Amino acid sequence: MRRPITAAMAGLGLALVACGGSGGTATTSPGTPITIGVSVSLSGDFSGDGKALEQGYDLWAEDINRNGGLLGHQVTMKYVDDASSTQQVVTNYQNLITVDKVALVFGPFSSLLTIPASTVVARYGYAFPEPAGGGPSVFNRGLTNLFFVQPAAVEDNLVSYTQFLLGLPADQRPASVAYATQDDPFTQPQVDKAKSLLEAAGMKTAYYKVYPAETTDFTPIALQVASSNADAVILGTQLPDALAFVQTFIQQHYNPKTIIETTGPDQGSQFSGPLGANTEGIMVPAGWTANATAYGNDTFVREFIAKYGGAAADISGDSAEAYSVGQVVDQAATKAGSIDNAKLIAAMHSGTYETIQGPMSFDSTGKPQGGVGVYIEQWQGGQAMFVYPASVAAAKPEYPKNNWQ
Amino acid sequence: MTLVLEAAVLGILTGGVYALMASGLTLIFGVMRIINVGHGALVVLGAYLSFAIWRALNIDPFLTLVITMPVMFGIGLVLEVVFIRPLKTDREALSVLVTYAIALGIEGLLGFFFTSNYVQLRAWYANASFPIGSFHVTYVYVYGFVLCLAILAAIFVMLYRTTFGASIRATMLNRTAAQLIGIDVDRVSAIAFGIGMATAAAGGVVFGITNAFNPGSHYDLISRLLTIIVLGGLGSLRGAIIAALVMLVSEDITSVLISPVWASFVFFVILVLVLLVRPQGLYGVRVRDRL
Amino acid sequence: MKNLPRLRLIQGAGVVAVFAVALAVPALAPDPATTNIAVFTMMYIGLATAWNIMGGYTGYISLGHAGFFGFGAYALGLLLTHLKIAGGYEPFLLVPVAGLLTAVLALGIGWFALRTRAATFVIVTIAFMFMLQLLAENLVGLTGGGAGLSFPSPTWSGDFFNTPYYYAMFLLAAVGLGASWLIRNSKFGLGLLAIRDDEDKALAVGVPTGAFKLTAFVISATLVGMIGGVYGYYVTYIYPQFVVDPLIGISMVLMVFLGGLGTLSGPVLGALILEPSQLWLAYNYGASKLYLVFYAAVFLIVILLLPRGIIPSALELLERWRTRSGPAAPAPAAPSTPSTPVKAVTP
Repeated sequence: MRRPITAAMAGLGLALVACGGSGGTATTSPGTPITIGVSVSLSGDFSGDGKALEQGYDLWAEDINRNGGLLGHQVTMKYVDDASSTQQVVTNYQNLITVDKVALVFGPFSSLLTIPASTVVARYGYAFPEPAGGGPSVFNRGLTNLFFVQPAAVEDNLVSYTQFLLGLPADQRPASVAYATQDDPFTQPQVDKAKSLLEAAGMKTAYYKVYPAETTDFTPIALQVASSNADAVILGTQLPDALAFVQTFIQQHYNPKTIIETTGPDQGSQFSGPLGANTEGIMVPAGWTANATAYGNDTFVREFIAKYGGAAADISGDSAEAYSVGQVVDQAATKAGSIDNAKLIAAMHSGTYETIQGPMSFDSTGKPQGGVGVYIEQWQGGQAMFVYPASVAAAKPEYPKNNWQ
Repeated sequence: MTLVLEAAVLGILTGGVYALMASGLTLIFGVMRIINVGHGALVVLGAYLSFAIWRALNIDPFLTLVITMPVMFGIGLVLEVVFIRPLKTDREALSVLVTYAIALGIEGLLGFFFTSNYVQLRAWYANASFPIGSFHVTYVYVYGFVLCLAILAAIFVMLYRTTFGASIRATMLNRTAAQLIGIDVDRVSAIAFGIGMATAAAGGVVFGITNAFNPGSHYDLISRLLTIIVLGGLGSLRGAIIAALVMLVSEDITSVLISPVWASFVFFVILVLVLLVRPQGLYGVRVRDRL
Repeated sequence: MKNLPRLRLIQGAGVVAVFAVALAVPALAPDPATTNIAVFTMMYIGLATAWNIMGGYTGYISLGHAGFFGFGAYALGLLLTHLKIAGGYEPFLLVPVAGLLTAVLALGIGWFALRTRAATFVIVTIAFMFMLQLLAENLVGLTGGGAGLSFPSPTWSGDFFNTPYYYAMFLLAAVGLGASWLIRNSKFGLGLLAIRDDEDKALAVGVPTGAFKLTAFVISATLVGMIGGVYGYYVTYIYPQFVVDPLIGISMVLMVFLGGLGTLSGPVLGALILEPSQLWLAYNYGASKLYLVFYAAVFLIVILLLPRGIIPSALELLERWRTRSGPAAPAPAAPSTPSTPVKAVTP
């Protein structure tokens, strides 16, 4: 149930791993093929995003091999399953680095597994680009080899949305806001930050609840949100609760002026399948949509559909993140002129990298910086598109959102 | 106050589903004296079977039961004969391990065929609801509840009005004595397990309509089901039903009145409190068993 | 009978040999990948042995021991955080304190849970485990909740890092085995076995069943708690659902059943077989979803073919071979792992 934006990280990490060689154990001579090791949650609790991420990585590996490899090295991806278990992820990275002697590693697909994995990887001096761990506790452990490959640190994900709300004319602004979030290092920091920003600007809080991530029946909580009659609803959800809340709102005939969920609406067909036309108007913070115009995105979308089928709207954000990781690694390796881990770490701490999620750069603890920000994506007419800020918007934001069907 | 009422109604409706699932579990325990920790996985299996049929034939999810219930009954028979019947020593302890292995195997197979993406059964009327006072009750919950009542009633009728039901009850009371009077306890066990599976199929459909699920969903389910049957008294059908309702209503009311954070905790607290006073559960029989 | 002293000598030598090899593992195979597996294997040896003290000797099957494991991890983590202790060797000294705290918890839970029997007891232990998990998740101010708890990280190099943890686990496993052996050869142990056979008759004969059961439960839980503490320290960061994890609880039970419930070396054997192979399998085949199916299949085959576990079945075979060969047959080679398993009494 934890679906952090690991794909991007993983992709990046893998690319870095492939490029940089190891911090000591493996050395790569020019032109030799290299392996990039990733620990993936393919079974257990976090097995959801695995496939999307793998698809993104594989597509990236294919592309880069076609273009001559990573600094001349042909890339092979090695995926190992960590069964969403701490024990296994720790074992996996030790094995990948010391037994398989992979050139580079990427972060695991869950923020929860990222932290224990990061200490293991740091011990060996490997770069650790990771797509999943963006919560505050990831960055305060004193590690310098870690890079969170996403447009913003997790807690800033909803800042664009608060700016959108506060930018509305005074008579249209929501009178009150209801917040409900999982007790999860990915969702809660975002919602809490949004709440403090909105309250400071004078928007009333009609309801605020934190619920355990292990909840199975979200209906009672959704009922409470509905009965608060708030104009705006901010939900810190993963996919299952994202669906459950919306369904309860429909059943209770509760139609707020605006709804935003931290994950769920960005999961493509997994979200639109169960909801059908009722995805209309729902927003989600996102760094990427299929029709965004960032670096190489249209090529990515075209190739993705050619390789895996489906429609553009079905592509999950995770695959895009995976691909971005690869892009960053490729560019960092070119800049550093080497795929040695230590050199890559140094290179990645400076400069800006162009990815299909937009430009990215990292501070000394690996936090993404530069105010690139995460945008607002909204479902309109069966497609998800950026609607805010205006510089990236493909359409005007639908506010208030249409009624349920 | 209306919020509490809403929560109570919701609790009763969802309690019905859990009652159905728990009834199969407690029946299996009563007849065979084994703890089927794989029951959650079997409910999920039922949900997936319904999902597959629904996706292929595009019919109302409830109608899939016509196929899944007999199929699951058959699967139950096979599982019982192949995996459970051979257990002779340390039955209760080993049955836990065996049924857990079955659960893992099912989870793996489901993951292989359906991937770990969350899915949900959708009826075209899934979000339709009717108003009661100031809130709305969703039709599917009501249909599911009615289905559960119907199946539970059928089980009761079977148990108390048919000869076969009498053999089941006899086996539950005293397995050896039942054998002595000529009941084929092996056959009774197999059929009871099959019935348990059929109820899991029905529970699976309602569960699958009201929740998003994936192969890993069985862990949460089984912990609640086990708690419910212990609260109700192992082997007591009546107890399972009442316990399910009590649990779900308290959980939902706690979620609304206090906080969702403590709602599941209340589940277990109630169990602990009841067991303090009645270690055999609400309707359990005090037996001096040994493993 | 006259071969008994020689048998004992062989057994004793076997114990020493195994001990020596176990002690030397980091020297024999210093690469981190192996020592990593060794740490987890030794951990499960300790866990299985500890669980066996309760489940094997008294017959009360607890499926909630993962709760104590997690509690021990959190106890140690919180002690280290509040006492501001840095990574290194000092945290190991606080492990017994975490054990003590777990003992107190076990006393409370045990008093309550042991009022029930058999299947109810099993489910009550599961319920308590989930309660502990929920408390860990929801007492955010204390445990950090879903965001997890950090342990101080030692600055040892990648190649040496695993070794101190291995020895810590080894020490705990040795203590567990020692306790298990002592209990087995004491009146206390006899009482426990009597409880397993027929609790009411034992009570009638004068065995203080309540006190004995509780003591075994507390000893078992304390060991598991301490092992949990070292585990948390090893992985450096814990979350409620990973450290109070039903899978850990059921793994230790499976290992005991595989090796032989109630035997001394059974749990050790079970852990030695299952843990390394599970880690290896997940690494090499986990990427395919069929890994779970394969694991389950192995599980089922073992249980159905060897319901009493390897050691008792092996000993039974040995016994049958010995008696078939006639009274003049020489003493059979002692089993490589020392044990005096209790012959399974009537189920």
